Amino acid sequence: MTDSAINITDLTVRYGRTLAVDNVALNVAKGSVYALVGRNGAGKSSLVRCLLGEQKPEQGTSMLFGEDAWSRRAALMQRIGIVTEEADAPPEMKVSSIARFCSRLYDRWDQGSVETRLRTFGVPLSSRFGSLSKGQKKQVSLALALANSPELLVLDDPTLGLDVVARRSLFEEVIGDLADRGTTIFITTHDLAGVETFADRVGMMESGRLVLDEEVDALKSRFRRIRFAAQPAAIDATVLRTTVMRSWGAGAEAIVSNYDDLAFERMRSASNIGTAEVEAMSLEEIFIAISGGKS
Amino acid sequence: MRNALAIAAREFEEKRFVAYAAVAFAILPFVLSVIPGLNGKSPQETIALSSLIFATGFGVALAVMIGANFVGRDLSDNRMSFYFSRPVSSASIWFGKLTAGLLMVVGCFAVIIAPAWLVAGRNWRSISSLSLENLSIWLLTVALSLFLVAHLISTFARSQSPWIVVDFAAAVVCGLAIRFLVIPLAAGQASVLISRLSVYLAGVFVVAFVGGGLWQLDRGRTDRRRNHLALSQFFWGTMAIALLLAASFVAWVVSVKVGDLTGSIRATRSTNGPFAVITGTARGRSDYHAAFLMNAEDGSTIRIDPRAEWGVRYTRDGRSAVVPRSTGNFADMLIYTRGKAEPADTGLNIDAGDYFVSDDGERIATISHPSILSVYDVVQKRSLASARLPASKYVRAFFVTPDVVRIYLNATEGMKIMELDVRSRGLHDTGFVQSPGFVYFYSDPAGAHMLVRKSHEDLLTLSDARTGAPITTLASGTQVKTARFLRDGRIAIVDGPESATVLHILSAAGAPQHDIPLGPVKSSIVVGDDGTRCVLAAEAAAGVRRLIAVDLTRGVIAQRVDKVVWVPPGTLDLRPPIEPLRDVFYGEFSDQKNHIVSWNPATGGKRRIV
Repeated sequence: MTDSAINITDLTVRYGRTLAVDNVALNVAKGSVYALVGRNGAGKSSLVRCLLGEQKPEQGTSMLFGEDAWSRRAALMQRIGIVTEEADAPPEMKVSSIARFCSRLYDRWDQGSVETRLRTFGVPLSSRFGSLSKGQKKQVSLALALANSPELLVLDDPTLGLDVVARRSLFEEVIGDLADRGTTIFITTHDLAGVETFADRVGMMESGRLVLDEEVDALKSRFRRIRFAAQPAAIDATVLRTTVMRSWGAGAEAIVSNYDDLAFERMRSASNIGTAEVEAMSLEEIFIAISGGKS
Repeated sequence: MRNALAIAAREFEEKRFVAYAAVAFAILPFVLSVIPGLNGKSPQETIALSSLIFATGFGVALAVMIGANFVGRDLSDNRMSFYFSRPVSSASIWFGKLTAGLLMVVGCFAVIIAPAWLVAGRNWRSISSLSLENLSIWLLTVALSLFLVAHLISTFARSQSPWIVVDFAAAVVCGLAIRFLVIPLAAGQASVLISRLSVYLAGVFVVAFVGGGLWQLDRGRTDRRRNHLALSQFFWGTMAIALLLAASFVAWVVSVKVGDLTGSIRATRSTNGPFAVITGTARGRSDYHAAFLMNAEDGSTIRIDPRAEWGVRYTRDGRSAVVPRSTGNFADMLIYTRGKAEPADTGLNIDAGDYFVSDDGERIATISHPSILSVYDVVQKRSLASARLPASKYVRAFFVTPDVVRIYLNATEGMKIMELDVRSRGLHDTGFVQSPGFVYFYSDPAGAHMLVRKSHEDLLTLSDARTGAPITTLASGTQVKTARFLRDGRIAIVDGPESATVLHILSAAGAPQHDIPLGPVKSSIVVGDDGTRCVLAAEAAAGVRRLIAVDLTRGVIAQRVDKVVWVPPGTLDLRPPIEPLRDVFYGEFSDQKNHIVSWNPATGGKRRIV
């Protein structure tokens, strides 16, 4: 038995000369919530396709519950619920037909939960999938992904197209509830504020590489925004590693990635920096800081 | 299996409108049959024909549409993940979709053509020469083939990958390979083998398609380019292996040796020198007819183009044989010479016309469309002269000398004689033989005199071979059966009633020398002579054939072999050969085995050739 729901090692994906995923390794413990963030084209979707056994990596492995995702995909899908980035159900099919079709493929299927969820969000079962709004399609995908009581829920940018209410419902009710029940959740998203409250671990991809893979609490505790009333002398990099340094009024603003109260106090007294205000940062702010200020 | 059926059911559900359309097309013929002016000979015929037309049109269109979309569209619209994110295997996805697609095409075709079956039934034969069963199967085969091809093209094209260039190249290579496989079999008249090869390749195509589809989804899954690559690799790989196997088989088939021949054995035996052409089929090679040029002198054989069987010409000096080798619409002319292992390419190719060879084989005269006579020098490999001949249905010619070709043309009221002089490049009329019917002639070795018989009269004359002017009448009203010059210039004539036929030997000027009774002979041919013996092929009575060697010195029948089928020379020789006749081939044909036997008219010895 493995404690990992997801274990990716040395994963590399290449499209011709383009390196989409570069030697990525990550581990998601069972029952945890992992949020993978990154800008468009960072390699998230390629990584998710490998994760779900839809694409064979050029190098490395992607294991789900200790089994190879590529070779054991069909069997593994009984334990996994997936919400893809783009709605992929046949547009000509009615929602009820899609649900009926899916119910035949799974060993466990809760048709009642599908209907309840869709009714809650006002998605008519008799409508053709192609006629639904983007948000409604997402709700259908989500309802289908949850109907087999998955041990692992993979959400590829699930908030895309959802309104505020649906988004809140997704994060607070669905993901929160599932996380409380021990379901492993792997989510790729741009909505960092949404996942901040319940993500256990966060990974960040940039140009195919996993540049960050850390517990959310640890990440948030080491990043700080420091505002200096006056322009400070050079900050000792051995004490505080500055990610961003910019002017702020008459003073300056620095974002440090290895903040420590004691170290900061020692530096302030030694350097005579003067008044400085230290603020905690949100995940989104940290993401922007890491990715070089470009959102 | 359960998942494949679920996917098939889903596909059906999605495309159920197709079934509604099929039902509408099935009803439409009944509507047409009651519309005045559209109901043809009878309402039944209108229903039958229109349902056949609708079934064909709808079936083909549906096959192409479904074939192009049942996988390709899901890939190009990025919807294949709908299946791959479910607990279903690649095989279930492929076979579910494939089953649904095929059943939809077959089902809709069956629904639309049903009225034709119901209404026309047994009377269908009065409408079409092809049975409705065969017609339906044929149309369905076409539709399903298009279904498969549409899937291939759709997958290749929708991926928008440069790999499609490789597919195009592979398709061209496959097409060429199939053509190169078929050409030698077609040359050997192997229609059964070609049919089997077609069935084999069709089977391989289906296997490559079905396996390729499974492979593409298993390896490519949701990625359209990887799908393309996987399908392409599997499909062309399978086709390549199949074509290599087929090529090996065809190579084995055409590598048949003369000793392997067991059936349909035929031969032609030149009277000019030692050459013969042997053809036949061999065990395990079905109906492939191989052809060999044999040198009867040493028994050596060379495999030749089977189509050349009746196109081989032999030089009068007996040294060489000119053999055409077909290359598309043209034939390269090769010269096989005694004592040389390999043929020499003359550099000349001809179309469907005829050709004649000079006595030493160094010049070839061709007659190509439209009646252009050309003289080609084999040594210099260039054309020496050419001229347009008057229109004629039948042309005979020979080289009087290497520089002069004499042409005998069938004309409206007789036979026109012309000569093409290579040196002056002039074509001249030299004579004419008046005759309302066909003119048979045979020239002496020098080309100075000829024996002339006309189809409408029982008269044999000795005439000038250049002008056609009669010199003397050799026989009149004697029922001449055959007449020709011997190698030394003497004349051999067989005539007389069927019950008492006589071989007359005359001097070159026509003076009688010997009269040799042959007994009852219905028809006969002078095969040739060796100076002391003259050999005749004769039919004593209906179906009773024999070869006779007549001793010209003693004037008696020296050797005889009965109940045989003479092997003809294969070419129309207009002059006696230079070399003496050594042997004569004949066939021993029975229901069990066919053999070609060489008979020595001097000794009576026999030797089985094949």
